[in-house]
Amino acid sequence: MDLLSHDILIVGGGLTGLRAAIEAKKAGRDVAILSKVHPLRSHSVAAQGGINAALGNALSPIKDTWENHAFDTIKGSDYLADQDAVEVMCREGVERVIEMEHWGTLFSRTKEGKIAQRPFGGTGFPRTCYAADRTGHNLLHTLYEQVTSLQILVYEEWYALSLIVEDGRCIGVLALNFFQGKIIPIYVRALLFATGGYGRIYLRSTNAIINTGSGCFLAYQVGVPLEDMEFIQFHPSSLYGTNILITEAARGEGGYLFNAQGERFMKRYVPHLMELGPRDIVARGIQTEINEGRGFEGGYVHLDLRHLGRKKILDRLPGIRQIAIDFAGIDPILEPIPIQPAQHYSMGGIPTNINGETPLDGLFAAGECACVSVHGANRLGGNSLLETIVFGTRVGKKIAQKAKKEKAGPHQALFQERLRAFQSKLEEISERKGEETCFQLRDEMKSLMTYRVGIFRKESDLQMAKRTIKELGKRFLNVKIKHKGLAFNYEFIQYLELEGMLHLAEAIIEGALARKESRGSHFRTDYLHRDDEHWLRHTLAYKTPEGLRLDYKEVTITSYPPKERTY
Amino acid sequence: MKSSLLTLRVKRFQKEKDPQRWVEIYQVEIKKRMNLLEALLRIQDEQDGTLAFRYSCRGAVCGSCAMKVNGKIVLACRTHVEDFFGKPPFIEPLPYFPVIRDLIVDMSTFFISHKKIEPYLHDKPVSTQTEYLMDEDERNEINPYIQCILCGICFSSCPAFQKDSEFLGPAILAKAYRFLIDPRDKRNDEILKEVDGQKGVWGCKTVFNCVKVCPKEVPPTHAIVEMRTKIVRYKFASIISQLLSLSKQID
Repeated sequence: MDLLSHDILIVGGGLTGLRAAIEAKKAGRDVAILSKVHPLRSHSVAAQGGINAALGNALSPIKDTWENHAFDTIKGSDYLADQDAVEVMCREGVERVIEMEHWGTLFSRTKEGKIAQRPFGGTGFPRTCYAADRTGHNLLHTLYEQVTSLQILVYEEWYALSLIVEDGRCIGVLALNFFQGKIIPIYVRALLFATGGYGRIYLRSTNAIINTGSGCFLAYQVGVPLEDMEFIQFHPSSLYGTNILITEAARGEGGYLFNAQGERFMKRYVPHLMELGPRDIVARGIQTEINEGRGFEGGYVHLDLRHLGRKKILDRLPGIRQIAIDFAGIDPILEPIPIQPAQHYSMGGIPTNINGETPLDGLFAAGECACVSVHGANRLGGNSLLETIVFGTRVGKKIAQKAKKEKAGPHQALFQERLRAFQSKLEEISERKGEETCFQLRDEMKSLMTYRVGIFRKESDLQMAKRTIKELGKRFLNVKIKHKGLAFNYEFIQYLELEGMLHLAEAIIEGALARKESRGSHFRTDYLHRDDEHWLRHTLAYKTPEGLRLDYKEVTITSYPPKERTY
Repeated sequence: MKSSLLTLRVKRFQKEKDPQRWVEIYQVEIKKRMNLLEALLRIQDEQDGTLAFRYSCRGAVCGSCAMKVNGKIVLACRTHVEDFFGKPPFIEPLPYFPVIRDLIVDMSTFFISHKKIEPYLHDKPVSTQTEYLMDEDERNEINPYIQCILCGICFSSCPAFQKDSEFLGPAILAKAYRFLIDPRDKRNDEILKEVDGQKGVWGCKTVFNCVKVCPKEVPPTHAIVEMRTKIVRYKFASIISQLLSLSKQID
């Protein structure tokens, strides 16, 4: 049996994973990254509009502060965010963004040569630092360059298959070298999940095809709860047809939303902020227009940038212009962009403290797969990139300390036993004689989630979704895998990913069904109001032998008592 | 939406098979505005789970799905299947890279070249409290080269890379230039030395293939020509200064 060993293994090569790796490596630890794609192909690369930090570079009547940023974030979260975590993010964000600039990120500039900042939804200040509308691309390439300079080892195109836990501590993973078709146990002193979100559970999603939430499932499978899974962000503007993201910066730069009657309809929903309302409110506004027959045929509205002029579009929004041309055959300089809301971000995930520690000793999590929780019930645009580098850095430091403390020990026999157990599970799967196929079940799940567990939710839909997901779970046991062997076996990968997604979908549905209130992105048409008395608390979903079990925990409130959220 | 059948021919390679290479024909039902990546994913889902290719973002930003289609090198996600009517697509892996399986190629030569130029900012010391000040003109000069997604398409249409796999290649030379002109990077001679030579800027045939095929409109040839000029100027300046010091010695 081949057995690899590292002080620290980081699963996921996006912004969080790379940032943590840099920090842990600088602390002198032996660190490796494992990713199912080359790090530069990670979904972080697709982030467009920017990263928030209270630099105070843009013209504004009063100077922005990190406390203002924290308040906007907490209010935006509909008071479900843990306020200590938000404060950490907003305070440390300033330093982190400047550090990225020093490492080479090519931010757009103000007249004075400082990092440029633009307005984003749900905030009182132009706070979103940007590199045109390719901020994620610029940040990810910068961090990959740093990883290259530090010569950090990357297991490219490998999959993490399961966690190895002994005596309540995570001591490794079973990993698949996809090209060789070999399962190789990797022993670690500490493990970090930076595996991103699970948007591909939904039919309409801005997420990359690879975003299947595998890290969340692997943790869930060994008893770690999942937090606030019912809070799914629907981005107001995805390109009609492919659902590729059209950045909020398009509205930050002054774009208008029009329905089919040529009306700037956001005046009905947030008259003061109009198109720059927070995402949950704008997405509901658009969906309401569509549902009430004021959208265009097929279910979309128009995002109009024409009045911004050619120069501004080419300078500030070149990326989405290219996307609109390539994928919809529309040049936003000349025509409005057809857009509709789509799943965009997973607020929930593996619960962690502000240092990325999870309830399982030895396992850390950060970034979109984690729930710290800095986004609560609704994330503000520009805060997810910030979360990746702030908590990537913090978890990198913490995991380095942890790895130094833990003693080494190869646990040869234990790893061998787990490997054998996993292999016999695979044999059992490959011998099944069922008739079902993964892609059919997957597509049914996606439609179910978009149409029944989407922007507007209600008891009957959620009950129906609960039954259907259980049925899908039963049918899943009759999936037949045609090809043997693991090398390049996409059917097998799809099988494992679908298994995880069905469980995550169940956690989303159960959380949504139980939460009889409307808060942030979770909107119940049968419970229209926020109910702090009963529901100012985080949901925890546990996987137990008897099935899913829900529990709850307190929200951390520091300086910002919950108030009605009005804009 | 209207749908119809499209025939795709895919060049395949699986090293454990006999024969290892063959051309597979698939038929896939296509919809309006469908792209080639979606068609391939459909085949992988519904017909053939062994068909190997890379993918991730499906929005032309991650650089995973570069391949050769009817002789042109493209990102599959950015290629519309409707454009194929009349000439069914023949799909091949990225040329000039060793094939690992089907449409997946080994890009390690690409990333080895990437490392050679030390592709990270060698920054000048600045205060940790504030950003380096840079005006928009300086940013705009670097900006076209920052767009590179390292997809490898330019390498696969580069005659110099075809002849010599150690040629640094268009994307990497563009990256070197990006650091050369970045006012925050303290290197100058070091970068020029690294790219001076037949493996570097002098290996380029200046046929501008890379500029034409780049899905992100990066202009590597322009960077190469600029660096050649800088190298010549640099060498000329050092010859002059040597001559001057020689003449001083004679005096």
